[in-house]
Amino acid sequence: MLAIDVKDLRKQFSVQKNREGLSGALKDLFKREYNEVTAVKDISFQIPQGEICGYIGENGAGKSTTIKMLTGILVPTSGELKVNGYVPFKDREKFVNGIGVVFGQRSQLWWDIGVIESFQLLRKVYRVSEADFRKRLNELVERLQLGELLNRPVRKLSLGQRMRCELVASLLHNPSILFLDEPTIGLDIVVKTEIRDFLMQMNREQGTTILLTTHDLQDIEALCSRVIMLDDGRIIYDGGLDDLKNRWSKGREIQFQFAGHTQLAKLRQLTESLDVTWSMENEVTAKMWLPHAVNVSDALACVVGGVEIRDIKIIETNTDDIVRSIYSSGSASTAKETV
Amino acid sequence: MRYASLFWEYIKNYAKTRLTYRADFWIEVLSDLLFQGMNLIFILIVFQHTPSLGGWSEAEVVFVYGFFMIPYGVFSTFFSIWNFSERYIVKGEMDRVLTRPAHSLYQVLLENVDPPSLIGSFVGAIIMVLCWFQLDLPFQLLDVLVMLLLILGAVLIYAGLYTALSAISFYSDAPTGIVPLMYNIQNYGRYPVNIYNKMIRFVLTWLLPFAFVGVIPASYFLEKKADDLSQLALLTPVMGIIVFSLGLFLWNHGVKRYRGAGS
Repeated sequence: MLAIDVKDLRKQFSVQKNREGLSGALKDLFKREYNEVTAVKDISFQIPQGEICGYIGENGAGKSTTIKMLTGILVPTSGELKVNGYVPFKDREKFVNGIGVVFGQRSQLWWDIGVIESFQLLRKVYRVSEADFRKRLNELVERLQLGELLNRPVRKLSLGQRMRCELVASLLHNPSILFLDEPTIGLDIVVKTEIRDFLMQMNREQGTTILLTTHDLQDIEALCSRVIMLDDGRIIYDGGLDDLKNRWSKGREIQFQFAGHTQLAKLRQLTESLDVTWSMENEVTAKMWLPHAVNVSDALACVVGGVEIRDIKIIETNTDDIVRSIYSSGSASTAKETV
Repeated sequence: MRYASLFWEYIKNYAKTRLTYRADFWIEVLSDLLFQGMNLIFILIVFQHTPSLGGWSEAEVVFVYGFFMIPYGVFSTFFSIWNFSERYIVKGEMDRVLTRPAHSLYQVLLENVDPPSLIGSFVGAIIMVLCWFQLDLPFQLLDVLVMLLLILGAVLIYAGLYTALSAISFYSDAPTGIVPLMYNIQNYGRYPVNIYNKMIRFVLTWLLPFAFVGVIPASYFLEKKADDLSQLALLTPVMGIIVFSLGLFLWNHGVKRYRGAGS
């Protein structure tokens, strides 16, 4: 069954145009002009149950707007939308019982009261029975090590502690879909790892579908089997992360450390038959860049015969670089044509 | 039933957070009462210059004011959503409300309950009882029931008007000017409406029915006047239902236009 089914989804906002200067402001007072801004432009995608899907894109690409439509906060301008079998904005109150939402930038908890009291309140809001609540809370508290935090007011928690509590709060009613909008923003690496492990485990054991937006591609690498990339309101890539890497990374680099002083010319001569380029780092280290068309073993074979090598390091282009180049080129499909 | 238990939960949390700041709590109670006291003193001063106002005696006008304080106190307790536009629309807290399985208006109201305002209702009830004796009005048990019904209607009128007013934030960017305006208009409803000209009277009775919160229902218990406002008194609950339904409709429709804030 599909957890999320989106077809030709579109969201337009009319944004008031502010004319310049005092005279402009006066004109605005009497006659306003509006711009239609389309934040999400007819996107379609489907997410099956139990998948962890990353939703990435630059700031302002329309990620949050999509998430808000999927969670029933915003009403789409046009298009079809089905999440968990509901149309989110139509049966909002029934629908939200089956989803969990975490907005990294905004707290879901009550600021002044103890964490446990926020949870109790949410228990009532979501109509979770006391027994289920206890069981679930104990599991989550143990898993995320919240024990001693439960009685502190939220405003006295650190960001990492708060984010773990937010996660618990969004999971108390055992939702089958979890929406995470930048869940690791501003967290240190330890908490990030902990949250990733936790999400991974929950997905594995309970089959929770997770859709997360993030700017941290390590989140995506650690969690997601699938990535949807958004640019200017349109989907420019939808598929596996490995695919994305294979398709957009143009090659890899091998760094050699030689036993003695080695000339660039000699290296070039050794690999004459291959389409590779060399650059010297210092007298004993050199880097060879080879496109995907060239086999690593072939390249190594050529070098190994000619010079004595102390150390070899193969450097994959990392996801950050790939995504950066897609963002700056504007679209993944244009990038494809140039390859 | 569920909504009632939710209500209780929120009140408990209110108590936990607010009662820890004792001074703050008492200052709020005190400033509420001072504000009402000032209004009352104003009425008393007016009557030092004239024995009657449009055919209403001092005790009667004070009675109306006492009646008004009851629904106003109840209203202020459950509908203190003055900062709705700023807090929920501009700062985007509506996002959170909309991801929870309860009616959005109900959640917003519960997050803002302000029980100290209820003290105003008690003071109003005391004022009314004192005037009742002073005016030597007849008393029947039925009066208590009618009174409760009229109070409920008056609360609904207030609730509906302010729900509608808050819902405007969904349609317009910054409706800040309207709240103080309404606040001023509502004060007119506490005084006998026949002292105003026809236009204002019509507005207060049928368009922004603040007269139905004070003078009209209160006149049911008082001596009949020439223009007999008390004929309209039993319409109060009907008006309440109409106005509140309109407000709720405007809200439900407005929520669909909510645009969120920032990322």
